[in-house]
Amino acid sequence: MVLSVPNTVFESVPTRVIVFTGNYGSGKTEVSVNFTLGLAALESELSIVDLDVVNPYFRCREAIEPMEAAGVEVIVPRGETFASELPIILPEVKGAMTRDTGRLVLDVGGDDVGARVLSSFGPALRGDQAELLMVLNARRPFTDTVDGALRIIREIENASRLKVTGLVCNTHLMEETRVEMIQEGVELAEAVSAETGATVRFVAAMDDMAAGYIEAVGGSPPYPVLPMVRRMLPPWISPLRQGRDRFRQIGLD
Amino acid sequence: MAKKLMKGNEAIGEAAVQAGCRHYFAYPITPQTEVAEYLVRRMPEVDGVFLQAESEVAASNMLFGASAAGVRTFTSSSSPGISLMAESISYIAGAQLPVVYVNIMRGGPGLGGILPAQSDYFQATKGGGHGDYHLLVLAPSTVQEAVDHVILAFELAEKYRNPVMVLGDGMIGQMMEPVQFPAEAVTEPPDRPWATVGMKNRPQNLIRSLFLNADELEANNLELRAKYDLMERDEVRFEFYHADEEMDVMVVAYGTMARIAKTAIDALRADGVKVGLVRPISLYPFPKRAVREAAGRAKAVLVVELSTGQMVEDVEWAAPEGVPIHFFGKVGGNIPPPEDISEEISKVLGGKATPRGLYGRVEEAS
Repeated sequence: MVLSVPNTVFESVPTRVIVFTGNYGSGKTEVSVNFTLGLAALESELSIVDLDVVNPYFRCREAIEPMEAAGVEVIVPRGETFASELPIILPEVKGAMTRDTGRLVLDVGGDDVGARVLSSFGPALRGDQAELLMVLNARRPFTDTVDGALRIIREIENASRLKVTGLVCNTHLMEETRVEMIQEGVELAEAVSAETGATVRFVAAMDDMAAGYIEAVGGSPPYPVLPMVRRMLPPWISPLRQGRDRFRQIGLD
Repeated sequence: MAKKLMKGNEAIGEAAVQAGCRHYFAYPITPQTEVAEYLVRRMPEVDGVFLQAESEVAASNMLFGASAAGVRTFTSSSSPGISLMAESISYIAGAQLPVVYVNIMRGGPGLGGILPAQSDYFQATKGGGHGDYHLLVLAPSTVQEAVDHVILAFELAEKYRNPVMVLGDGMIGQMMEPVQFPAEAVTEPPDRPWATVGMKNRPQNLIRSLFLNADELEANNLELRAKYDLMERDEVRFEFYHADEEMDVMVVAYGTMARIAKTAIDALRADGVKVGLVRPISLYPFPKRAVREAAGRAKAVLVVELSTGQMVEDVEWAAPEGVPIHFFGKVGGNIPPPEDISEEISKVLGGKATPRGLYGRVEEAS
């Protein structure tokens, strides 16, 4: 990583429990995993729950290893149910939610359908001990306008019976992201904030884009910036060495 | 419209809207349910209809009715759902109606699993339903291509009055990529003098696949065959990736597997290995001539699929005598990393792999 993660990102959400929600494909999982890995450096007791009961294709389950290596307790269905489409809520989840110590990150499934599960945890998430953060990508369908984003927020609030208290700007177009898109995303989030009262907490962007954004705003961004490393990789982008080296490694050359 | 970040399934739904389709009938099934989730929001915005049927059997018969009534219509499903639709697909082909099917494949047979697979190649290209018919089958390998193929599918379905299938694996439906929708995707529908839209001053139209008279049925069969001949002449689509030069190994793959193969090929070519890829884009009509011609420039062929070997049979049929054909497949929802493919290529290069024999693998093993 080129940039270090500023503590101001974590100071912006000081509650014990931090819930990441958002519309489908807003980047909740990528943000939760990168956020958790950063927070792990500051906290001795930290857990993350994969509460995505909607779709098992791309979940934080794929990022389990680096988080466990960082000392994070990862609460996720294991074994046979890992790739099931069953709405599984592990008993450990309620335990983690009701205890008094340690920090807890929840990665919730997309849209109101995914957020409905939160309503079953009721009191544990109400009051001042939990933040409900809405991850916003202004380049996604249905959250590309203020009205669209407000509608999704209302749907998530109704389904979860909780109030969205903070916004995370995660506007991107994957490899085709440009710095201006991040700025557009911040503007959208500010407009949404003005309507809902939920405050903009931080801006998330892939490492190089985060650096570009900070530079573009003259080195002093209006909100803390979480630089991220992409954890959910498609299978044709391989982090391993290719070609001849690989042949030697497996004894074929 | 600005470039958007979309899931394959959402992009498929939007592509149908952009292509002017306002009638979507479907029944949910993983891994393509987001098509329905997207359209349940989107269709009302454009005065369109999404009707969730009570089953795939019903959905596909609704397509029959809607298409007969002269409107652009489509459905999306996944493997077991397409099996349930098979009967009506055959009826629709027999009745010569334009309908677009999207199959986001999951592992099988039976209920199988929900993870990506390419094991419906036989079903899509060789029938699925009964009788003498073909679907025109397009296989995208990116989300952008899924968009382009859905738009093209409506055009081809209407051109040939034949069902067209867009065949993607679960990865195509689930992954997110930036997509751009064409500014003018809506093509003017051709005249539909056959549609049941009210007689007015013309004779009655009857849309059917039932022809009890032998000569009438034969005539319908021959009309269908004449369309397939035209498709085989005019609708063959494929991509050569370094396949127009001499190759030590020629890889054949489609969809997600072609993408993984390209990563492996790039790495090997950087090391000076002569390897290329033929990617069939239309699976029916299969790019027989292209495979034959390219295989003539190769010392060996390696077919890679997310199945235990389906398209490989068409490659064997297409390739010239004497070129050894190897196969590598991964199933169950497991997707091989590019290294697995480079490893297979290197085994072929090093003479450490056994080609498929005339009767598959058993002959070689015994």
